[in-house]
Amino acid sequence: MSKESRMRATINQKLTEMGERERLKELLRSKLTECGWKDQMKAHCKEVIKEKGLEHVTVEDLVVEITPKGRALVPDSVKKELLHRIRAFLAQHAT
Amino acid sequence: MKMEDMPLSGPDNTKLEALVHDIYSELVEDACLGLCFEVHRAVKQGYFFLDETDQESMKEFEIVDQPGVDIFGQVYNQWKNKECECPNCKRLIAASRFAPHLEKCLGMGRNSSRIASRRLASNNNTSKSESDQEDNDDLNDNDWSYGAEKKGEHLKFTTCNSPRRSKSLKHKNGESISYNTGISYETLGPDEVRSLLTTQCGVISEHTKKMCTRSQRCPQHTDEQRRAVRVFLLGPSAPLLPSADTAVDNDSFDIPDGQTLLSRLQWEDSPDISPTDSASSKTFGRLIGLLLSGTNHSDSRRPKKKKRTSLCLNSGGVSAPSISSIYDDLN
Repeated sequence: MSKESRMRATINQKLTEMGERERLKELLRSKLTECGWKDQMKAHCKEVIKEKGLEHVTVEDLVVEITPKGRALVPDSVKKELLHRIRAFLAQHAT
Repeated sequence: MKMEDMPLSGPDNTKLEALVHDIYSELVEDACLGLCFEVHRAVKQGYFFLDETDQESMKEFEIVDQPGVDIFGQVYNQWKNKECECPNCKRLIAASRFAPHLEKCLGMGRNSSRIASRRLASNNNTSKSESDQEDNDDLNDNDWSYGAEKKGEHLKFTTCNSPRRSKSLKHKNGESISYNTGISYETLGPDEVRSLLTTQCGVISEHTKKMCTRSQRCPQHTDEQRRAVRVFLLGPSAPLLPSADTAVDNDSFDIPDGQTLLSRLQWEDSPDISPTDSASSKTFGRLIGLLLSGTNHSDSRRPKKKKRTSLCLNSGGVSAPSISSIYDDLN
């Protein structure tokens, strides 16, 4: 178990150090905006806000409402591409 | 890059695969959280709902997504095949050609006037002279030819004047005059001359010996020249130009002599002998008149005859040396 957790830690460290994490983040964000996911989510946010009232909305409210839906709404193509990139990175840098 | 790839195989690799998915989930959550912060900030700062207005306007400007229509709901090739009837020439013109056609048809707009004046000019140049003029190259009385002016702005000037000129010419004289020539003053009686001179410039051109038929304000000739011509043709007590100063009325007997003499000098010789400014020429004229009143009396008193032109020339020639001597004295 510790081997595994050690390996995970190493990988994560490498991801961050080499800037791959940032790159992946940017890639994901642009892909999501392109495919309209962001607008969809914003529309959902509007509903939530109208529900909760403009003045009393908190970050927690939004997070709780948005995250599960967001995770589900990511298009398959985007998901596939990202998984591919991560796998490639791992294949390259995992010992 | 192959999008379709197999998950890593092998027992270790399930763990790797799990790792991959974990990393992926982390990234997605990160994105969601980023969005939440963005929206929350917009809400609290008050700019989240800026792109929305009341329900009515929203419905009005909703994006249209139908075939054959743009997103505003307008049919975009609606006027392509339509034809309009021109109110001027009653022809059916295609919609896209309607505006330029109307410009030409009504004669308004920049290009139409340019084309029209060019056409008129070419007509003038190509048509033969219609009247019994001596020389064909004296078709124009303003000391410049139409051909040379074809491309300049002077063309507008001449075309503006020419219809009026030909009309006035035909109206006033019984003679047939060519389109854009002057009038020969020798053939006219005093009344005709007087009536002509009240409306036209009338300055006699040197080489054609014809009167300028342009307006009283024609830029080709100065007021001095016009005054000289009037005095010359109608006598020293000639009716004054409409633009003449009132001071001229108060001149004494001697002064007109000096003035006509001065004007004659202007007319025959180059203008740089006499000053162009009317005020200074008046004083100069007075001076000349005072000095020469004895010598040239008889010339100016003589009645109008054909020989007069040559006499004037002579008198001008005679007095020129004396004038130049006065210049020396003044200097």
